[in-house]
Amino acid sequence: MSIEETVEDRLIALLSKTTGSDVPLSPATHLVGDLALESIQVIEYLCEVEDHFDLAIDEATLADVQSIADLAAVVRKLRGS
Amino acid sequence: MGLLDKFEAARRTRDTLSALPLNPTDVVIEQVLGATEAMIQGRRTIMAGTNNYLGLTFDAEAIAAGQAALASCGTGTTGSRMANGTYRDHLLLEAELAAFFDTSYAMVFSTGYAANLGALAALLAPGDAVLLDAEAHASLFDGCRLSGADIFRFKHNDADSLANRLRRLGARAASALIVAEGLYSIRGDCAPLAEFAQVKQEFGACLFVDEAHSLGLYGAHGRGLAEQEGVARQVDFIVGTFSKSLGSIGGFCVSQREELPLFRYASRPYIFTASPCPSVIATTRVALRQLSTRPELREQVWANAHRLYAALAALGLELGPHVSPVVGISLRERETAFACWQGLFNAGVYTNLILPPAAPDGGSLIRCSVTAAHSTAQVDAIIAAFTTVCEALRIGHHATQ
Repeated sequence: MSIEETVEDRLIALLSKTTGSDVPLSPATHLVGDLALESIQVIEYLCEVEDHFDLAIDEATLADVQSIADLAAVVRKLRGS
Repeated sequence: MGLLDKFEAARRTRDTLSALPLNPTDVVIEQVLGATEAMIQGRRTIMAGTNNYLGLTFDAEAIAAGQAALASCGTGTTGSRMANGTYRDHLLLEAELAAFFDTSYAMVFSTGYAANLGALAALLAPGDAVLLDAEAHASLFDGCRLSGADIFRFKHNDADSLANRLRRLGARAASALIVAEGLYSIRGDCAPLAEFAQVKQEFGACLFVDEAHSLGLYGAHGRGLAEQEGVARQVDFIVGTFSKSLGSIGGFCVSQREELPLFRYASRPYIFTASPCPSVIATTRVALRQLSTRPELREQVWANAHRLYAALAALGLELGPHVSPVVGISLRERETAFACWQGLFNAGVYTNLILPPAAPDGGSLIRCSVTAAHSTAQVDAIIAAFTTVCEALRIGHHATQ
Protein backbone atom coordinates (compact mmCIF):
# COMPACT_ATOMS: atom_id res chain seq x y z
CA MET A 1 0.00 0.00 0.00
CA SER A 2 1.46 3.39 -0.98
CA ILE A 3 1.92 6.26 1.48
CA GLU A 4 -0.68 8.26 -0.42
CA GLU A 5 -3.27 5.54 -0.03
CA THR A 6 -2.49 5.21 3.65
CA VAL A 7 -3.01 8.92 4.28
CA GLU A 8 -6.28 8.98 2.41
CA ASP A 9 -7.53 5.79 4.04
CA ARG A 10 -6.70 7.25 7.43
CA LEU A 11 -8.47 10.51 6.60
CA ILE A 12 -11.56 8.57 5.61
CA ALA A 13 -11.46 6.51 8.80
CA LEU A 14 -11.11 9.66 10.91
CA LEU A 15 -13.97 11.30 9.03
CA SER A 16 -16.26 8.33 9.62
CA LYS A 17 -15.39 8.41 13.31
CA THR A 18 -15.86 12.17 13.68
CA THR A 19 -19.11 12.57 11.79
CA GLY A 20 -20.71 9.19 12.36
CA SER A 21 -21.98 9.57 8.80
CA ASP A 22 -23.03 6.47 6.89
CA VAL A 23 -22.46 8.18 3.53
CA PRO A 24 -19.93 6.16 1.49
CA LEU A 25 -16.61 8.01 1.55
CA SER A 26 -13.88 8.15 -1.05
CA PRO A 27 -10.94 10.46 -1.78
CA ALA A 28 -13.26 12.40 -4.09
CA THR A 29 -15.80 13.06 -1.33
CA HIS A 30 -16.23 16.77 -0.67
CA LEU A 31 -16.40 17.66 3.02
CA VAL A 32 -18.99 20.37 2.59
CA GLY A 33 -20.51 19.67 -0.83
CA ASP A 34 -21.17 15.95 -0.29
CA LEU A 35 -21.42 15.62 3.47
CA ALA A 36 -22.95 19.03 4.22
CA LEU A 37 -20.65 19.33 7.23
CA GLU A 38 -21.10 22.50 9.24
CA SER A 39 -18.01 24.61 9.78
CA ILE A 40 -17.67 23.50 13.38
CA GLN A 41 -17.76 19.85 12.33
CA VAL A 42 -15.02 20.53 9.79
CA ILE A 43 -12.93 22.15 12.54
CA GLU A 44 -13.46 19.16 14.83
CA TYR A 45 -12.47 16.81 12.05
CA LEU A 46 -9.35 18.81 11.23
CA CYS A 47 -8.36 18.79 14.91
CA GLU A 48 -8.55 14.99 14.80
CA VAL A 49 -6.47 14.94 11.62
CA GLU A 50 -3.85 17.25 13.16
CA ASP A 51 -3.66 15.13 16.29
CA HIS A 52 -3.36 11.88 14.38
CA PHE A 53 -0.60 13.11 12.06
CA ASP A 54 0.95 15.42 14.70
CA LEU A 55 0.66 18.43 12.41
CA ALA A 56 -0.36 22.07 12.76
CA ILE A 57 -2.54 23.10 9.83
CA ASP A 58 -3.42 26.78 9.58
CA GLU A 59 -6.72 28.00 8.17
CA ALA A 60 -5.19 29.59 5.08
CA THR A 61 -3.65 26.27 4.04
CA LEU A 62 -7.14 24.83 4.02
CA ALA A 63 -8.65 27.52 1.84
CA ASP A 64 -8.50 25.37 -1.29
CA VAL A 65 -9.29 22.07 0.40
CA GLN A 66 -12.61 20.66 -0.69
CA SER A 67 -12.16 16.92 -0.97
CA ILE A 68 -10.47 14.27 1.11
CA ALA A 69 -7.86 13.99 -1.66
CA ASP A 70 -7.14 17.74 -1.31
CA LEU A 71 -6.68 17.29 2.42
CA ALA A 72 -4.43 14.29 1.84
CA ALA A 73 -2.23 16.46 -0.35
CA VAL A 74 -1.94 19.02 2.47
CA VAL A 75 -1.08 16.32 4.98
CA ARG A 76 1.55 14.84 2.69
CA LYS A 77 3.07 18.25 2.05
CA LEU A 78 3.28 19.13 5.76
CA ARG A 79 4.75 15.74 6.57
CA GLY A 80 7.31 16.24 3.86
CA SER A 81 6.37 12.92 2.32
CA MET B 1 -21.93 31.92 -11.61
CA GLY B 2 -23.44 35.38 -11.39
CA LEU B 3 -22.56 37.90 -8.74
CA LEU B 4 -25.80 37.45 -6.85
CA ASP B 5 -26.15 33.68 -7.30
CA LYS B 6 -24.28 33.16 -4.05
CA PHE B 7 -27.41 34.23 -2.19
CA GLU B 8 -29.26 31.06 -3.18
CA ALA B 9 -28.20 29.29 0.00
CA ALA B 10 -29.36 32.26 2.08
CA ARG B 11 -32.61 32.32 0.15
CA ARG B 12 -33.22 28.64 0.96
CA THR B 13 -32.55 29.28 4.64
CA ARG B 14 -34.87 32.27 4.65
CA ASP B 15 -37.60 30.32 2.82
CA THR B 16 -37.33 27.42 5.27
CA LEU B 17 -37.77 29.80 8.18
CA SER B 18 -40.56 31.70 6.42
CA ALA B 19 -42.53 28.47 6.05
CA LEU B 20 -42.78 28.25 9.85
CA PRO B 21 -45.83 29.67 11.60
CA LEU B 22 -43.53 32.42 12.87
CA ASN B 23 -40.10 33.06 11.40
CA PRO B 24 -37.81 33.52 14.44
CA THR B 25 -35.69 36.01 12.52
CA ASP B 26 -38.76 38.13 11.80
CA VAL B 27 -39.88 38.60 15.39
CA VAL B 28 -40.72 42.22 16.01
CA ILE B 29 -40.57 43.54 19.54
CA GLU B 30 -43.44 45.98 19.34
CA GLN B 31 -43.06 47.50 22.75
CA VAL B 32 -40.48 47.00 25.47
CA LEU B 33 -42.21 46.76 28.83
CA GLY B 34 -39.08 46.56 30.96
CA ALA B 35 -35.94 44.50 31.35
CA THR B 36 -37.82 41.20 31.22
CA GLU B 37 -41.03 41.67 29.23
CA ALA B 38 -42.11 42.97 25.84
CA MET B 39 -45.15 43.05 23.60
CA ILE B 40 -44.75 40.70 20.62
CA GLN B 41 -47.63 40.02 18.24
CA GLY B 42 -49.81 41.97 20.61
CA ARG B 43 -49.05 39.66 23.55
CA ARG B 44 -47.16 40.23 26.74
CA THR B 45 -44.08 38.01 26.45
CA ILE B 46 -41.36 37.07 28.93
CA MET B 47 -37.98 37.81 27.39
CA ALA B 48 -35.83 34.76 28.11
CA GLY B 49 -33.42 35.24 25.25
CA THR B 50 -31.54 38.45 26.00
CA ASN B 51 -28.02 39.17 27.24
CA ASN B 52 -29.31 41.64 29.80
CA TYR B 53 -27.77 39.58 32.61
CA LEU B 54 -27.86 42.19 35.35
CA GLY B 55 -31.19 43.59 34.15
CA LEU B 56 -29.82 47.11 33.91
CA THR B 57 -31.44 48.27 30.64
CA PHE B 58 -34.08 50.20 32.55
CA ASP B 59 -31.91 51.35 35.43
CA ALA B 60 -33.32 54.75 36.35
CA GLU B 61 -29.96 56.32 37.10
CA ALA B 62 -28.48 55.12 33.81
CA ILE B 63 -31.46 56.44 31.86
CA ALA B 64 -31.18 59.81 33.58
CA ALA B 65 -27.46 60.00 32.83
CA GLY B 66 -28.10 59.09 29.19
CA GLN B 67 -30.80 61.74 28.88
CA ALA B 68 -28.53 64.35 30.45
CA ALA B 69 -25.71 63.46 28.06
CA LEU B 70 -28.07 63.69 25.09
CA ALA B 71 -29.09 67.16 26.20
CA SER B 72 -25.61 68.40 26.94
CA CYS B 73 -23.47 66.68 24.27
CA GLY B 74 -25.92 65.93 21.49
CA THR B 75 -26.94 62.76 19.73
CA GLY B 76 -23.60 61.63 18.36
CA THR B 77 -19.92 62.37 17.96
CA THR B 78 -20.14 62.20 14.14
CA GLY B 79 -16.59 60.95 13.78
CA SER B 80 -13.57 58.99 14.87
CA ARG B 81 -11.60 59.90 17.97
CA MET B 82 -8.35 59.91 15.99
CA ALA B 83 -9.65 62.35 13.39
CA ASN B 84 -12.49 64.21 15.05
CA GLY B 85 -11.56 64.34 18.71
CA THR B 86 -12.05 62.51 21.97
CA TYR B 87 -14.84 63.51 24.33
CA ARG B 88 -13.89 63.91 27.96
CA ASP B 89 -16.36 61.16 28.88
CA HIS B 90 -14.61 58.66 26.59
CA LEU B 91 -11.52 59.14 28.73
CA LEU B 92 -13.47 58.95 31.97
CA LEU B 93 -15.01 55.64 30.95
CA GLU B 94 -11.59 54.30 29.97
CA ALA B 95 -10.16 55.35 33.33
CA GLU B 96 -13.08 53.75 35.13
CA LEU B 97 -12.69 50.51 33.16
CA ALA B 98 -8.98 50.37 33.98
CA ALA B 99 -9.78 50.94 37.66
CA PHE B 100 -12.56 48.34 37.61
CA PHE B 101 -10.29 45.69 36.08
CA ASP B 102 -7.30 46.84 38.13
CA THR B 103 -5.26 47.26 34.96
CA SER B 104 -3.10 50.10 33.75
CA TYR B 105 -4.75 50.66 30.39
CA ALA B 106 -8.19 50.55 28.81
CA MET B 107 -9.48 51.33 25.37
CA VAL B 108 -13.09 51.77 24.30
CA PHE B 109 -14.48 50.65 20.94
CA SER B 110 -17.79 51.42 19.30
CA THR B 111 -19.15 47.87 19.55
CA GLY B 112 -18.09 44.56 21.05
CA TYR B 113 -17.57 43.23 17.54
CA ALA B 114 -15.30 46.18 16.78
CA ALA B 115 -13.37 45.58 20.00
CA ASN B 116 -12.54 42.02 18.98
CA LEU B 117 -11.87 42.95 15.41
CA GLY B 118 -9.85 46.01 16.35
CA ALA B 119 -7.79 44.53 19.15
CA LEU B 120 -6.89 41.36 17.27
CA ALA B 121 -6.18 43.09 13.99
CA ALA B 122 -3.86 45.49 15.82
CA LEU B 123 -2.15 42.83 17.88
CA LEU B 124 -1.55 40.28 15.13
CA ALA B 125 0.16 40.57 11.79
CA PRO B 126 0.99 38.28 8.87
CA GLY B 127 3.52 35.71 10.03
CA ASP B 128 2.17 35.59 13.60
CA ALA B 129 0.49 32.44 14.88
CA VAL B 130 -2.85 32.61 16.68
CA LEU B 131 -4.45 29.68 18.49
CA LEU B 132 -8.21 30.07 18.41
CA ASP B 133 -10.80 28.01 20.30
CA ALA B 134 -12.94 25.98 17.86
CA GLU B 135 -16.13 27.58 19.18
CA ALA B 136 -14.84 31.14 19.49
CA HIS B 137 -17.24 33.88 18.45
CA ALA B 138 -17.28 34.99 14.82
CA SER B 139 -15.88 38.40 15.78
CA LEU B 140 -12.76 36.74 17.20
CA PHE B 141 -12.27 34.69 14.07
CA ASP B 142 -12.88 37.72 11.88
CA GLY B 143 -10.32 39.73 13.84
CA CYS B 144 -7.73 36.99 13.43
CA ARG B 145 -8.49 36.73 9.74
CA LEU B 146 -8.34 40.49 9.23
CA SER B 147 -4.87 40.51 10.78
CA GLY B 148 -3.47 38.07 8.22
CA ALA B 149 -1.97 35.90 10.97
CA ASP B 150 -1.80 32.11 10.64
CA ILE B 151 -4.87 30.74 12.42
CA PHE B 152 -4.73 27.38 14.18
CA ARG B 153 -7.93 26.07 15.79
CA PHE B 154 -7.84 23.94 18.94
CA LYS B 155 -10.62 21.78 20.32
CA HIS B 156 -13.19 23.71 22.29
CA ASN B 157 -12.18 24.25 25.91
CA ASP B 158 -9.43 21.63 25.59
CA ALA B 159 -6.12 22.67 27.17
CA ASP B 160 -4.37 19.53 25.91
CA SER B 161 -5.44 20.29 22.35
CA LEU B 162 -4.09 23.82 22.80
CA ALA B 163 -0.79 22.59 24.23
CA ASN B 164 -0.35 20.05 21.44
CA ARG B 165 -0.74 22.74 18.80
CA LEU B 166 1.70 25.08 20.53
CA ARG B 167 4.20 22.25 20.77
CA ARG B 168 3.88 21.61 17.04
CA LEU B 169 4.57 25.28 16.34
CA GLY B 170 8.05 24.92 17.80
CA ALA B 171 9.85 28.24 18.24
CA ARG B 172 6.81 30.14 16.97
CA ALA B 173 4.88 29.20 20.10
CA ALA B 174 6.75 31.75 22.23
CA SER B 175 5.31 34.60 20.18
CA ALA B 176 1.89 33.04 19.59
CA LEU B 177 -1.43 34.41 20.82
CA ILE B 178 -4.05 32.20 22.46
CA VAL B 179 -7.63 33.40 21.99
CA ALA B 180 -10.60 32.11 23.99
CA GLU B 181 -13.78 33.33 25.61
CA GLY B 182 -14.85 33.24 29.25
CA LEU B 183 -18.50 32.19 29.24
CA TYR B 184 -19.63 30.86 25.87
CA SER B 185 -22.87 32.45 24.79
CA ILE B 186 -24.75 29.55 23.24
CA ARG B 187 -24.33 26.55 25.52
CA GLY B 188 -23.39 28.54 28.59
CA ASP B 189 -20.16 26.63 29.17
CA CYS B 190 -17.01 28.16 30.64
CA ALA B 191 -13.43 28.04 29.40
CA PRO B 192 -10.81 26.32 31.60
CA LEU B 193 -8.91 29.60 31.88
CA ALA B 194 -6.63 28.44 34.69
CA GLU B 195 -5.47 25.56 32.48
CA PHE B 196 -5.07 27.86 29.49
CA ALA B 197 -3.03 30.26 31.63
CA GLN B 198 -0.78 27.39 32.66
CA VAL B 199 -0.26 26.36 29.03
CA LYS B 200 0.44 29.97 28.12
CA GLN B 201 3.13 30.17 30.81
CA GLU B 202 4.65 26.90 29.70
CA PHE B 203 5.13 28.08 26.12
CA GLY B 204 5.69 31.78 26.76
CA ALA B 205 2.71 32.74 24.61
CA CYS B 206 0.20 35.57 25.17
CA LEU B 207 -3.40 35.04 26.27
CA PHE B 208 -6.39 37.04 24.99
CA VAL B 209 -9.80 36.43 26.60
CA ASP B 210 -13.19 37.71 25.53
CA GLU B 211 -15.31 38.22 28.66
CA ALA B 212 -18.30 39.56 26.70
CA HIS B 213 -20.76 37.23 28.41
CA SER B 214 -18.90 36.74 31.68
CA LEU B 215 -18.49 40.38 32.70
CA GLY B 216 -20.68 41.07 35.71
CA LEU B 217 -21.33 37.40 36.36
CA TYR B 218 -18.05 35.93 37.60
CA GLY B 219 -15.38 36.93 40.09
CA ALA B 220 -15.48 38.69 43.43
CA HIS B 221 -15.70 42.06 41.69
CA GLY B 222 -17.68 40.85 38.68
CA ARG B 223 -14.72 41.29 36.35
CA GLY B 224 -15.30 37.96 34.66
CA LEU B 225 -14.13 34.39 34.53
CA ALA B 226 -10.41 35.22 34.60
CA GLU B 227 -10.94 36.87 37.98
CA GLN B 228 -12.98 33.93 39.25
CA GLU B 229 -10.31 31.47 38.12
CA GLY B 230 -7.61 33.57 39.78
CA VAL B 231 -5.71 34.15 36.55
CA ALA B 232 -6.60 37.74 35.66
CA ARG B 233 -2.94 38.76 35.86
CA GLN B 234 -1.93 36.01 33.45
CA VAL B 235 -4.39 37.20 30.82
CA ASP B 236 -2.52 39.69 28.66
CA PHE B 237 -5.58 41.23 27.03
CA ILE B 238 -9.20 41.14 28.17
CA VAL B 239 -11.91 42.31 25.80
CA GLY B 240 -15.60 42.66 26.40
CA THR B 241 -18.75 44.45 25.50
CA PHE B 242 -21.13 46.98 27.01
CA SER B 243 -24.11 45.37 25.28
CA LYS B 244 -24.63 42.49 27.69
CA SER B 245 -24.43 43.06 31.45
CA LEU B 246 -23.99 46.82 31.02
CA GLY B 247 -27.13 47.16 28.91
CA SER B 248 -25.85 49.60 26.27
CA ILE B 249 -23.56 49.16 23.28
CA GLY B 250 -19.81 49.34 22.77
CA GLY B 251 -16.73 47.32 23.56
CA PHE B 252 -13.41 47.53 25.36
CA CYS B 253 -9.97 46.10 25.76
CA VAL B 254 -8.01 46.29 29.03
CA SER B 255 -4.43 45.27 29.65
CA GLN B 256 -1.36 45.74 31.77
CA ARG B 257 0.68 45.94 28.57
CA GLU B 258 1.94 49.42 27.85
CA GLU B 259 1.43 48.73 24.14
CA LEU B 260 -2.36 48.82 24.48
CA PRO B 261 -2.60 52.63 24.04
CA LEU B 262 -0.59 52.19 20.83
CA PHE B 263 -3.45 50.13 19.41
CA ARG B 264 -5.12 53.48 18.73
CA TYR B 265 -2.58 54.10 16.01
CA ALA B 266 -2.72 50.60 14.56
CA SER B 267 -6.32 49.42 14.81
CA ARG B 268 -8.31 50.20 11.69
CA PRO B 269 -11.68 49.20 13.27
CA TYR B 270 -10.88 51.81 15.94
CA ILE B 271 -9.50 54.52 13.69
CA PHE B 272 -12.07 54.37 10.93
CA THR B 273 -15.28 54.22 12.98
CA ALA B 274 -17.31 56.92 14.68
CA SER B 275 -16.67 56.89 18.41
CA PRO B 276 -19.40 55.86 20.89
CA CYS B 277 -22.07 58.54 21.31
CA PRO B 278 -22.22 60.48 24.57
CA SER B 279 -25.48 59.00 25.83
CA VAL B 280 -24.08 55.47 25.42
CA ILE B 281 -20.92 56.39 27.30
CA ALA B 282 -23.02 57.96 30.06
CA THR B 283 -25.30 54.95 30.56
CA THR B 284 -22.34 52.57 30.42
CA ARG B 285 -20.51 54.49 33.13
CA VAL B 286 -23.52 54.28 35.42
CA ALA B 287 -24.07 50.60 34.66
CA LEU B 288 -20.41 49.84 35.41
CA ARG B 289 -20.82 51.59 38.73
CA GLN B 290 -23.97 49.58 39.44
CA LEU B 291 -22.14 46.39 38.58
CA SER B 292 -19.37 47.34 41.00
CA THR B 293 -21.50 48.49 43.89
CA ARG B 294 -24.51 46.18 43.76
CA PRO B 295 -23.31 42.58 44.21
CA GLU B 296 -26.93 41.66 44.91
CA LEU B 297 -27.54 41.86 41.15
CA ARG B 298 -25.01 39.10 40.65
CA GLU B 299 -26.53 37.06 43.47
CA GLN B 300 -30.00 37.38 41.97
CA VAL B 301 -29.03 36.39 38.43
CA TRP B 302 -27.22 33.33 39.79
CA ALA B 303 -30.21 32.36 41.92
CA ASN B 304 -32.37 32.53 38.80
CA ALA B 305 -29.77 30.62 36.78
CA HIS B 306 -29.62 27.76 39.27
CA ARG B 307 -33.40 27.58 39.48
CA LEU B 308 -33.81 27.40 35.70
CA TYR B 309 -30.92 25.00 35.06
CA ALA B 310 -32.07 22.58 37.76
CA ALA B 311 -35.63 22.54 36.46
CA LEU B 312 -34.64 22.01 32.83
CA ALA B 313 -32.20 19.28 33.83
CA ALA B 314 -35.01 17.62 35.77
CA LEU B 315 -37.07 17.62 32.58
CA GLY B 316 -34.36 15.45 31.03
CA LEU B 317 -33.24 18.03 28.52
CA GLU B 318 -29.68 17.95 27.17
CA LEU B 319 -28.01 21.03 28.64
CA GLY B 320 -24.53 22.51 28.62
CA PRO B 321 -22.08 21.20 31.22
CA HIS B 322 -22.08 24.27 33.47
CA VAL B 323 -24.79 26.13 35.33
CA SER B 324 -24.89 29.71 34.08
CA PRO B 325 -27.44 32.40 33.22
CA VAL B 326 -27.25 31.03 29.67
CA VAL B 327 -28.86 27.64 29.27
CA GLY B 328 -28.38 25.95 25.90
CA ILE B 329 -30.79 23.11 25.21
CA SER B 330 -29.46 20.79 22.50
CA LEU B 331 -32.04 19.33 20.16
CA ARG B 332 -30.69 17.00 17.52
CA GLU B 333 -33.46 17.51 14.98
CA ARG B 334 -33.94 20.91 13.45
CA GLU B 335 -37.70 20.38 13.20
CA THR B 336 -37.88 19.63 16.92
CA ALA B 337 -35.99 22.84 17.62
CA PHE B 338 -38.43 24.80 15.46
CA ALA B 339 -41.40 23.27 17.24
CA CYS B 340 -39.86 23.80 20.67
CA TRP B 341 -39.11 27.45 19.98
CA GLN B 342 -42.62 28.00 18.60
CA GLY B 343 -44.22 26.18 21.52
CA LEU B 344 -42.36 28.33 24.02
CA PHE B 345 -43.30 31.43 22.11
CA ASN B 346 -46.97 30.38 22.08
CA ALA B 347 -46.70 29.93 25.84
CA GLY B 348 -45.53 33.53 26.16
CA VAL B 349 -41.77 32.94 26.44
CA TYR B 350 -39.29 34.34 23.95
CA THR B 351 -36.07 32.33 23.59
CA ASN B 352 -33.40 32.10 20.89
CA LEU B 353 -33.47 29.50 18.15
CA ILE B 354 -29.89 28.64 17.26
CA LEU B 355 -29.29 26.78 14.03
CA PRO B 356 -26.07 25.79 12.27
CA PRO B 357 -23.62 27.37 11.69
CA ALA B 358 -24.21 29.29 14.94
CA ALA B 359 -24.90 26.07 16.85
CA PRO B 360 -21.63 24.72 18.27
CA ASP B 361 -21.92 21.08 17.29
CA GLY B 362 -23.78 21.21 14.02
CA GLY B 363 -27.07 20.45 15.75
CA SER B 364 -29.79 22.89 16.76
CA LEU B 365 -30.33 24.56 20.10
CA ILE B 366 -32.76 26.61 22.07
CA ARG B 367 -30.86 29.26 23.98
CA CYS B 368 -32.60 30.47 27.11
CA SER B 369 -31.21 33.12 29.41
CA VAL B 370 -32.26 34.72 32.66
CA THR B 371 -31.37 38.02 34.24
CA ALA B 372 -31.22 39.58 37.67
CA ALA B 373 -34.46 41.38 36.82
CA HIS B 374 -36.52 38.22 36.30
CA SER B 375 -38.78 37.54 39.25
CA THR B 376 -39.04 34.05 40.66
CA ALA B 377 -42.56 33.92 39.23
CA GLN B 378 -41.21 34.72 35.77
CA VAL B 379 -38.53 32.03 36.03
CA ASP B 380 -41.22 29.58 37.09
CA ALA B 381 -43.35 30.65 34.11
CA ILE B 382 -40.40 29.91 31.82
CA ILE B 383 -40.02 26.49 33.45
CA ALA B 384 -43.76 25.83 33.10
CA ALA B 385 -43.59 26.68 29.39
CA PHE B 386 -40.72 24.22 28.91
CA THR B 387 -42.65 21.56 30.83
CA THR B 388 -45.66 21.99 28.56
CA VAL B 389 -43.54 21.92 25.41
CA CYS B 390 -41.54 18.86 26.49
CA GLU B 391 -44.77 16.99 27.08
CA ALA B 392 -46.33 18.07 23.80
CA LEU B 393 -43.24 17.28 21.72
CA ARG B 394 -42.24 14.22 23.75
CA ILE B 395 -38.74 15.44 24.39
CA GLY B 396 -36.55 15.13 27.47
CA HIS B 397 -37.90 12.51 29.86
CA HIS B 398 -41.17 12.50 27.90
CA ALA B 399 -39.32 10.99 24.92
CA THR B 400 -39.14 7.63 26.65
CA GLN B 401 -42.56 7.59 28.26
